[in-house]
Amino acid sequence: MSNEYLPRKAVIEAVVDDTPDTKTFTLRLREKDAGAFRYKPGQFLMLSLVGSGEAPFTFASSPSRDGRFQVSVRNVGTLTHALHQLKEKDIVGVRGPYGNTFPLDKIKHKDILFVAGGCGIAVLRPLIQYVFKNRKDHGRVEIIYGCRSPKDIFYKEEIKSWANNPNSNVYLTVDEPDEPWGGACGVVCVLLPKIKLNPKTAIVFLCGPAVMIKFAIKDILKLGFKEQNIYASLERYMKCGIGKCGHCCIKGKYVCLDGPNFSYAQMKKLGIDA
Amino acid sequence: MTQKLFITRENLKKLIQSLKKDCDEFIAPKIEHLDDIVFGDTRNNGEELLDYEGNSIISPRAFLLPQTELLFEIRSAKNCDLIPIEDKKKRVFYGVRPCDIKALVLMRKFFLDEFVDEPYQQKLERSTFIALACGKRCLDKSFCHIIGSGPMAKEGFDLQLIPIRRGYLVEIGSKKGKSIINKHKKLFSKALAQDDREIKKMLENFAEESKKMDFRGLARIMREDKVKTAIWDDIGLRCVVCSGCITLCPTCSCFSIMDRLNGDKGVRLRYCDGCPYAGFTRMAGDNAPFPLHKDHIRRFFEHKLNVDVERYGTPSCVGCGRCIQTCPGNISIKEFIERVIGVTE
Repeated sequence: MSNEYLPRKAVIEAVVDDTPDTKTFTLRLREKDAGAFRYKPGQFLMLSLVGSGEAPFTFASSPSRDGRFQVSVRNVGTLTHALHQLKEKDIVGVRGPYGNTFPLDKIKHKDILFVAGGCGIAVLRPLIQYVFKNRKDHGRVEIIYGCRSPKDIFYKEEIKSWANNPNSNVYLTVDEPDEPWGGACGVVCVLLPKIKLNPKTAIVFLCGPAVMIKFAIKDILKLGFKEQNIYASLERYMKCGIGKCGHCCIKGKYVCLDGPNFSYAQMKKLGIDA
Repeated sequence: MTQKLFITRENLKKLIQSLKKDCDEFIAPKIEHLDDIVFGDTRNNGEELLDYEGNSIISPRAFLLPQTELLFEIRSAKNCDLIPIEDKKKRVFYGVRPCDIKALVLMRKFFLDEFVDEPYQQKLERSTFIALACGKRCLDKSFCHIIGSGPMAKEGFDLQLIPIRRGYLVEIGSKKGKSIINKHKKLFSKALAQDDREIKKMLENFAEESKKMDFRGLARIMREDKVKTAIWDDIGLRCVVCSGCITLCPTCSCFSIMDRLNGDKGVRLRYCDGCPYAGFTRMAGDNAPFPLHKDHIRRFFEHKLNVDVERYGTPSCVGCGRCIQTCPGNISIKEFIERVIGVTE
């Protein structure tokens, strides 16, 4: 028997300030079989800082690295505030991986559209990294990313490099531009008319605030994309990650077990409508 | 009916004394305060009731999923040194009503399904359940006979006692139950044909009042979102978030986890939590996927009458009536069922 609630120790190897209120932690399991912590893009982990709490966080890096993985944390609550005080060599607890994965088989040889808002990019980043690593297996890739302001953009250098991939493009937009910002302005929906993908077969992945997902899906459907090809990664309050605590249950589906990634066709059944 | 055994009241008392020697806690119904019936440990005080009318105020769930339960001892918060706290107590549950036995069957499925909940499993494995069938209906608010969880348990017990005039008929429900019988052979005798006739009559009396409920039909209506908005509005208006229903319900299983620290040491504990609270689904940054109050309490009804019908093929409302009895706003799950589908013959 093993106690699923018992966290494994992970040590912080690096901390990077991504934006004024976000830090990205590079973690590595302390135990010897660190490589056994195998996850796939789309899954999440339960991260705990003993004394401050435990909450679900997405893996923000692709799973290929030798037992190392990244987690991006925005300072919004009690636990995240405490996490922001941590430094290199500090220890946190991790459990997982939990949840379903993005449909990796389904995206082969297809055009892919990523739509991210704010820290939603962290959820999509492992899949984006996976797609670019296996570039030949996929069609045209376009990424739309919206933030509050230019200084809130995550992974700035990496995002620039994504646009350098063949047959790919990245569109950025911000709500509140500052002086040097010469790019697009407004919500992610303003950039949707620019995309050059085949809507009939392309697969769409969204992650961001609930209101962004709602309105982006509406516009994406108008462009002719198929309901069953649109996936959103949902965020819910969770305490266990293993389908017991009940917090994330929506009409009998557990976001932690059946999700967090749902197709729009599934979301409609759960009463989450665009 | 399978072959049953018989035990007299005197011998049942002897059996209880013997079982007490072989356990750490003997959880049985007893009287507390004025005339409340509650489950409690009677191993050392002999306060247990051999038989009782109606049901206990709180279901035996409280011993398997306590209001607060220590999960880990925190040896060092800084180093994330957590040591699981095991509950190694051997418990005998005596006099558990069939509705609560059905609840246990569902809770067992839920906690041991897919990912195993070790703290629950540990307690379950070390427990023995002796059911006590109902000779007559209890509260007028209970409706086990409509929802199909009473007056006798069908599964989920180790032994079941069925009250008859001259004592109790005994039904064996598991290997554990069988071994108790084998160990105390002298206390039991064979049931007589007249005993079976008595039970048959008792069941017939129940059947006369019993109308069967079309729970699949109800689940379908709920799934298709065809329950009148006015019904949900009414429930939302009446719920004052006292959490009485989720505290007493034998199939409520939701919890939260928190840490209590004193310096670098402490405990990680879990405590019962539930859907009526607005904070149950609210996330950091005040992101609330279910902003309306009526949608919070609605989860309670959806879980019991829709979700679990799909998941387990049976509603997880067992008709004990505790939530109805306790609700200060007079919300009634029985009335809800009647308002949505009526009750079919």
